[in-house]
Amino acid sequence: MPTTGKVRTMLNNVFLKGLRDRRVSLIWWAVGLTLFVVLTIAVYPSMRNNPSIQDYAESSADLMKAIAGSIDITSPVGYLNSQLFFMMLPIIMSILAISIGSDALAGEEGRGTLDLLLSAPLPRRRAVVEKFATMVMAVTLEAVVLYAGMALLALATSMDISYLNMAEATFGLVFLALVFGTLALLLGAASGSKGLSIGIAAALGLGTLLLNSLGLIIEALDPWRRITPIYYYSENNPLANGLNWIHVLILVAITAVFLGASLFFFEHRDITV
Amino acid sequence: MDGTVIRTEGLTKLYGKSRGIIGVDFEVRAGEIFGFLGPNGAGKTTTIRLLLDFIRPTSGSAELFGLDSRKGSVAIHRRTGYLPGELALYEKMTGADLARFFANLRGGVDWSYVDELAQRLDSDLSVPIRSLSRGNKQKVGLIQALMHGPELLILDEPTAGLDPLIQQEFYRIIEACREEGRTAFVSSHNLHEVERLCDRVGIIREGRLVDVEEISAIKQRALHHLEIHFAAAPPPETLSGIPGLRDLRMEGETLYCTIQGSMDALVKAIARYEVSNILSYETPLEDIFLAYYGEGENDAQ
Repeated sequence: MPTTGKVRTMLNNVFLKGLRDRRVSLIWWAVGLTLFVVLTIAVYPSMRNNPSIQDYAESSADLMKAIAGSIDITSPVGYLNSQLFFMMLPIIMSILAISIGSDALAGEEGRGTLDLLLSAPLPRRRAVVEKFATMVMAVTLEAVVLYAGMALLALATSMDISYLNMAEATFGLVFLALVFGTLALLLGAASGSKGLSIGIAAALGLGTLLLNSLGLIIEALDPWRRITPIYYYSENNPLANGLNWIHVLILVAITAVFLGASLFFFEHRDITV
Repeated sequence: MDGTVIRTEGLTKLYGKSRGIIGVDFEVRAGEIFGFLGPNGAGKTTTIRLLLDFIRPTSGSAELFGLDSRKGSVAIHRRTGYLPGELALYEKMTGADLARFFANLRGGVDWSYVDELAQRLDSDLSVPIRSLSRGNKQKVGLIQALMHGPELLILDEPTAGLDPLIQQEFYRIIEACREEGRTAFVSSHNLHEVERLCDRVGIIREGRLVDVEEISAIKQRALHHLEIHFAAAPPPETLSGIPGLRDLRMEGETLYCTIQGSMDALVKAIARYEVSNILSYETPLEDIFLAYYGEGENDAQ
């Protein structure tokens, strides 16, 4: 049948509608991320010339060195690692992915709109894959904003840093965040509960982050770092050395397993009203 | 299209002890409006959600268009329009955007028909759905169910929240669908609505299908509670021998009674006396069910 009237491309499918639904939220995320990195990097020139910071870093635990990824926390790489890439950005980007992943199926189910969506001639697995794609695209878009903001500021403050490595460190966050976002998608697909999905995914995200950090300073815990997703992001110190692509593949493989499990569980269960 | 559009065999869905449906068997023929009548909580929505593969049967099966409800769900959905009972829409979208989205998922619709439906149902599609009243949301739900001209309509309590004039327009739209040879499966807890709209009716109660009948047979079963105000009380023998009349009670000049089926004999019998007013009350469905199908397990408790 002919389609007449104004064409609305963002309403063409579940994937695009997902982005359209989130457009306001994604803009605010972009504003927040930009402000965060602007404030962080804007402070850098004054800190670089302040010797007491370096004294403080050296006097504190070995963790600071481990966090900084290099001996000198006042170096650009050391500063950005300690302030952004070691902990804050992995947490923030994972929160973004978890919020989208948990809402994708379980949120819609909780609001009662899933019956209507699935009454369309749309296989359930297609709905899952398109909603997953929305999450990937949203997290990637925010990473682009993040990178643009950091790169421009680094340029403006004449920071001595590799822009390629900065790109790898930033887009590596996408692979890390998607592990937890897809876990949230899986928990929502299997349980239908958004709260449970957020709770478990966030707890595992923070728990593994903590485990990885403790493993850096407590030798007995060091082997356990390999079960944490963040290990496969940060171990190579991407801001200094770029990404370890074998490690990235491991993150992608975990995400693929979670996605496959989401498809399986969502296909085989009753939708609640 | 000939033959049977929906066929269920021993369709069963158990949830713990209280809810669900047990051994539901019925057929819906092509081109008919089939009413699915039962009180709230009887299992109407559960049955509909089984037909559409949102939930899976504990045992038994359902076929739509000759396709298994599970294996053929995508093909079935393509040929079906659905209105959920607990209607929830995308609150932030406008009605037009919602219709456009579902139209796109169905590969496009004739938008002039969407405009026609919106006009006939008096629905404003340009405002965000969250700002609409319950009845106006229901209209948006109906439009998305009807807009692609599906062969089968599955409508769960379609007139909930609609004002009477819009209800009448909705009945005309469904009747027009029947004239085009399309089929409708309409759930309701309102006997009068089913009488008005449907060709046949399946009656569900406490999860079991107790009867499937032509609507003419159902009309014989309608119960009306009447309150007749006389100028002066008529002699008691006036009302003797009137078929279907029961529960007679005279209080002063006012007669209270219940009548089953046609009111003709009663009206003719009282016509000789001065009647100042006649009030008729709709009988709750559960009362009618009690009268015809006896007490269910829950009622006995």
